[in-house]
Amino acid sequence: MTARLHPLTFVVGAVRELLALIAAGATGLLVGGLSTAFYFTLVGLAFGLLFHVASWVTFTYVLHEDRIEFRRALIGRSVKTIPRDRIRGVDISASLPHRLLGLAVVHIDAGADGGEGELNAVSLAEAERLRGVLLARDAPVPPQRALGRMRRRWYLYAPLSGAYLLTPFALAGSLLGTVYNLGDDLGLITRERVESLGHDVVGLPTVLVLVLVILMLIAMPVMSVIAFTLFNWDFTVRERDGSVVAERGLLTRRSVSLERRRLRGVELADNPFERAAGVTRLGALITGLGDAAQRGRLLPAAPRAAAEALAARVVGNVPGPLTAHPPAARSRRVVRAVAPPAGVAALAVLAGQPWVAGACAAVAVLAVPLGLDRYRQLGHATDGERLTVRSGSLRRRQVVVEHSAVIGWRVRQTLFQRRLGLATLFAALGAGDGGCSATDMSEEGAVALAAAITPAWLDPFLDGPPGAGAEPTRAGGHRT
Amino acid sequence: MSPRAVAQWAIEYLLLWGLAFGLALGVAAWVGDAGWDALPGWLAGRIGWLPSIVGAAGLLMVAVAPVWRYRVHRWEVSSDVVYTRTGWFSREWLLVPVGRIQTVDSKQGLIERMLGLATIEVNTASHTGSSEVSGLPVAVATRLAEDLAHRAHDLRDDAT
Repeated sequence: MTARLHPLTFVVGAVRELLALIAAGATGLLVGGLSTAFYFTLVGLAFGLLFHVASWVTFTYVLHEDRIEFRRALIGRSVKTIPRDRIRGVDISASLPHRLLGLAVVHIDAGADGGEGELNAVSLAEAERLRGVLLARDAPVPPQRALGRMRRRWYLYAPLSGAYLLTPFALAGSLLGTVYNLGDDLGLITRERVESLGHDVVGLPTVLVLVLVILMLIAMPVMSVIAFTLFNWDFTVRERDGSVVAERGLLTRRSVSLERRRLRGVELADNPFERAAGVTRLGALITGLGDAAQRGRLLPAAPRAAAEALAARVVGNVPGPLTAHPPAARSRRVVRAVAPPAGVAALAVLAGQPWVAGACAAVAVLAVPLGLDRYRQLGHATDGERLTVRSGSLRRRQVVVEHSAVIGWRVRQTLFQRRLGLATLFAALGAGDGGCSATDMSEEGAVALAAAITPAWLDPFLDGPPGAGAEPTRAGGHRT
Repeated sequence: MSPRAVAQWAIEYLLLWGLAFGLALGVAAWVGDAGWDALPGWLAGRIGWLPSIVGAAGLLMVAVAPVWRYRVHRWEVSSDVVYTRTGWFSREWLLVPVGRIQTVDSKQGLIERMLGLATIEVNTASHTGSSEVSGLPVAVATRLAEDLAHRAHDLRDDAT
């Protein structure tokens, strides 16, 4: 049966062009003069519409017994075939225009060797039918199991992360930029107008400027909650057919499938504000996916207990309590935090810049508690199956990985660490950003921890029995 | 590790520090001519010392660092683990099981070719777990690379 996409598809594709057309038309009418650039824009829009209609006419898909074919015949002819037994997942998503028209985009994922196909867009009913037909196998589809879900209240944590606080500025900036570009294209922006606008702004009364600034400050957290909610609405983590699926979004629903087979561990990250509120972010460490914070996100903001519970369902319990690192590490953390600003301050004194020197000295004093906190956050633990290490203060990360995910060890010791009897242990991972580090462990502790996790690798190189004066760890965790 | 590695590192340091020395000479000459006011007087007066300081540091590095590195650098391949120790000022120990190795490259730079040496690069799925063993005699490097690649192939699953 040969089928086409839904006839309204080109409407969605053209919505952006139509919006631009309306905006340009309104601006043109407001000013009262239609310049050549405006006509060029019109011609461009017409071509865009034509293209959308043509690609709708020339694209067909056929569902066979054993395969699904996508045929495209716009310029060249192309047929893409996906064998039905290779299909691993069928995701349905819909942006706001799609939803208004009752359409949905079907995304067919057939793993690395089968490729993927997209039907943009079909009616919602057809999408559901396709999913039902394509995923119906001999074996019944394993039921979905919900692993975790955002609560309403958690959206209020958005301002803590800081990432969305600048949303009003970004919005205002992009709006101004669009207006400027549009005006420039239509020949509305002249030197005189810009200058007179500048004079008007400078001439505003101080009170008005103050009010604007205060409004902006109030808008920052409010807008950040709104933006955060738009992106992460109804954030749900499910278990489906060997994958962990994270779905999110209000206007555009996004779903990311993370294969269990490639999941190596999780990462809990927070900053001092989030720490004070007991909030943390959870990400997954996936082989071949470097970005745990964005694509591998499992919870964008949640109370620590909820995040740890989800982590436990995804990889297993977070080992604890963490073993603190030796006291020698404390002075090293403090020195390393204080040294850069103090050094700059000394240079500034030599160069005769008292103001710079004073500012740097103040920063250096503030760096002392930072260094102390960095030391307090250092820690590691293992429970025989999983290893966890924690470090950082302004951005604290706690990584939890399975022992079998460790693909190598690196121990680094600088001259200063050698004097203090410290060493930094890196566990190399084939996921995330390549590894995690336990900074400033004691020398014996680092070797003992590595030996406890992978005894077979270290024993040939150790002289005596490992773990003299070692950490409270249990041996175990051979690579299977 | 071949003792010729000391010569290799010495030549590398000599080239690097020679370049730095030239730069320092240029900077000193330029500052002396331009009479730049942004520098405090005591520094501008003594800018002539810069090349000497850089030169002395360079000589020290060329004389000390290669020997020190030679003493620290070790490598060992046991039945299924590659172990390396590198560095001189800061030291690094690296343990990579053969089953986790993805590629083994052996390469030779210009200086290494003159001295009959080669470098082996052991790559895993993680940057942290990848290492380099430099200063090996060519024959040893080639044999080791082939041997490791074969064994990694026999042992590997997906090596992540």
